[in-house]
Amino acid sequence: MPSSTVKQYIFHCNLKEQPKDEHEDVPNTPEPYIATPELIRAVNLAIYLRRPLLLEGEAGCGKTRLARAVAYELRLPFYRWDVRSTSKAQEGLYSYDAILRLHDVEVKRHGGETGTKRDPANPKDYRRFGPLGKAFCVEDRPAVVLIDEIDKADLDFPNDLLAVLDDPWEFKILETEETIAIGNPALRPIVFITSNKEKGNLPAPFLRRCIYFFLKFPDQQLEAIINAHYRDKKGPNADLIKAAATKFLDVRQDSALFKKPGTSEFLDWVEALRGFELPDQKPPTVSPEALPPYPSLLFKLRADWLKYTGA
Amino acid sequence: MEISEARRIVLALFAYRRRAGLNLGVSELLAALDAVAGGWGVEDDADLHAMLELLWCKSAEDSRELGVQWENVLAYLATHKDSPTLPETTPESSRPFETPPRLEQSLPPQETIPPRAAASESTPGWNVLPVKAPFTPAHMDEAPDFHSYGPVSSRFMTYTWRYLRRPLPDGPADVLDIAATVERAARQGFFIAPVYRRRERNHAHLLMFLDQNGSMMPFHRFNRDLATTAQHDSALMRTDVFYFHNLIAQRVYADPHLTQPVELSEILGACTVDTVILIVSDAGAARGYRNSRRIRETAVFLARLKQVAAHVAWLNPMPQARWENSSAEMIARFAPMFQMDPEGLSNVIDVLRGQVMGQYAS
Repeated sequence: MPSSTVKQYIFHCNLKEQPKDEHEDVPNTPEPYIATPELIRAVNLAIYLRRPLLLEGEAGCGKTRLARAVAYELRLPFYRWDVRSTSKAQEGLYSYDAILRLHDVEVKRHGGETGTKRDPANPKDYRRFGPLGKAFCVEDRPAVVLIDEIDKADLDFPNDLLAVLDDPWEFKILETEETIAIGNPALRPIVFITSNKEKGNLPAPFLRRCIYFFLKFPDQQLEAIINAHYRDKKGPNADLIKAAATKFLDVRQDSALFKKPGTSEFLDWVEALRGFELPDQKPPTVSPEALPPYPSLLFKLRADWLKYTGA
Repeated sequence: MEISEARRIVLALFAYRRRAGLNLGVSELLAALDAVAGGWGVEDDADLHAMLELLWCKSAEDSRELGVQWENVLAYLATHKDSPTLPETTPESSRPFETPPRLEQSLPPQETIPPRAAASESTPGWNVLPVKAPFTPAHMDEAPDFHSYGPVSSRFMTYTWRYLRRPLPDGPADVLDIAATVERAARQGFFIAPVYRRRERNHAHLLMFLDQNGSMMPFHRFNRDLATTAQHDSALMRTDVFYFHNLIAQRVYADPHLTQPVELSEILGACTVDTVILIVSDAGAARGYRNSRRIRETAVFLARLKQVAAHVAWLNPMPQARWENSSAEMIARFAPMFQMDPEGLSNVIDVLRGQVMGQYAS
């Protein structure tokens, strides 16, 4: 059970500007995010139980942005780990530069200066923490960790990760014989994991440990999202937003599309409609009948492109 | 909702889902109880349902299933106010694929009037008796064998291919050998450069012959999964996939639609000492044929394969029980044949790695 000595964090998804924080890893620029009540519930349940929140859903629906929005609102340090096909679970914890240490020993022995504070006698100077390792080291509050696109990694990756994200919440650094552990359950990191199901389902033991949420496309909230993003800047006028949102949803309704544009494409598109102008042309208008302007921002496959450019 | 009431629902639903054969562990139950104790899901039924859905469901199908089970358990608990969880499992309902406990059978007769209505009634008056239609379970195929003999997931295939390897250190020399580096520095008395080893590469060459069309029609998806996982998601150095229909003669085909013929001799000529061959076919077991021509020609073909490849194995999508009295029974004597399930696929890999399986040990 989470102890009561550290405050209980609750995510409300408000768009208020937050005060600056002295911890260098706390995000200090706002992350406008509109979440449904169901998603907010999922986030808070994940925070309460400190189980990883696994987010799946269409590309460009805000899977990746959520973690940073949570970290910003709750003023928690944020560590992002972009998983690649060669990623190993240990890289997220730490890496150890043995060769640099050997190099420093040699330089020192021959009277040279390394020009740094590294001391070859101290192995701790040669270990570097990865995103997850850093999250284990934050002492006064839990950290937010984003493990992005976990499905890209090797098949074993999720299972290896499981060993760390579970009791007893510790890992060993072999080279320095340290054990990094989180004593206070309230300081366990809040982990967000995103997946696109590139290699099929994740392994069952991993899924069992996670809280699962499927992000749907925010049909009803497009206007709210635009307003959140242009809160401090001069935004497009309300008519344009409304017309753009309607047109965009129209396009998405088209079941013959091979790849549906997501929220991030919508934001780019609205920004182009608002601010982009060619010198000798009138700004384009969005009308329900005509083809959408700037199709380059919406259609990323040849077949879709041909269909919507009228070519 | 009281916390105790929420706990009761969680426990009952957990027991119900376990009995339905769903893979839920104690840690999931504890997590749900933890959440309830912390004030999650105690607002109302919908709140609790949403919380359990987040914790216990990992796909849209899971959620649908939970919805149905939720209704059943709530209906049951409403009529059984005092029992802590679901009644003792009757032998009948403990069978894995018969989910719903028969409510109308287990209801004791005196409880047909729900106690809730009776307790809250202080003044006499007319009242509608709450009626719930008895739950009638949908008819289910009683074929547990069919269920356990399920298809092999592509994740499992990818895992399995990994065991097929012949590693040789002939890749680029870019693996740092720390021990050798330190040792050399110590021997020479100074450090010049780190020592690198060559990277190991998997030299296994897999040659797959997949039976297409006809009786193999239902297994095309499996064929495709096998081919794509071996070609794209495995560390095999080379995977060649060819297709045929029923019999392998002079030619096989490079595409699943059997339109691009390739000479068999050409393919077998390219085999090396690292080549292993996997054949996927029902060998007549799907329709129960016993065709002596098919057996004879397959035997000749298998003998030819054994001359060029290190190991040959056969994967049969039909369960072993169906091989009897069909060509498959005979062909299984010429090559190690396994049925298509996770165990069978693992055995196939063992054979291809050169490990001798019990029944083929002679």
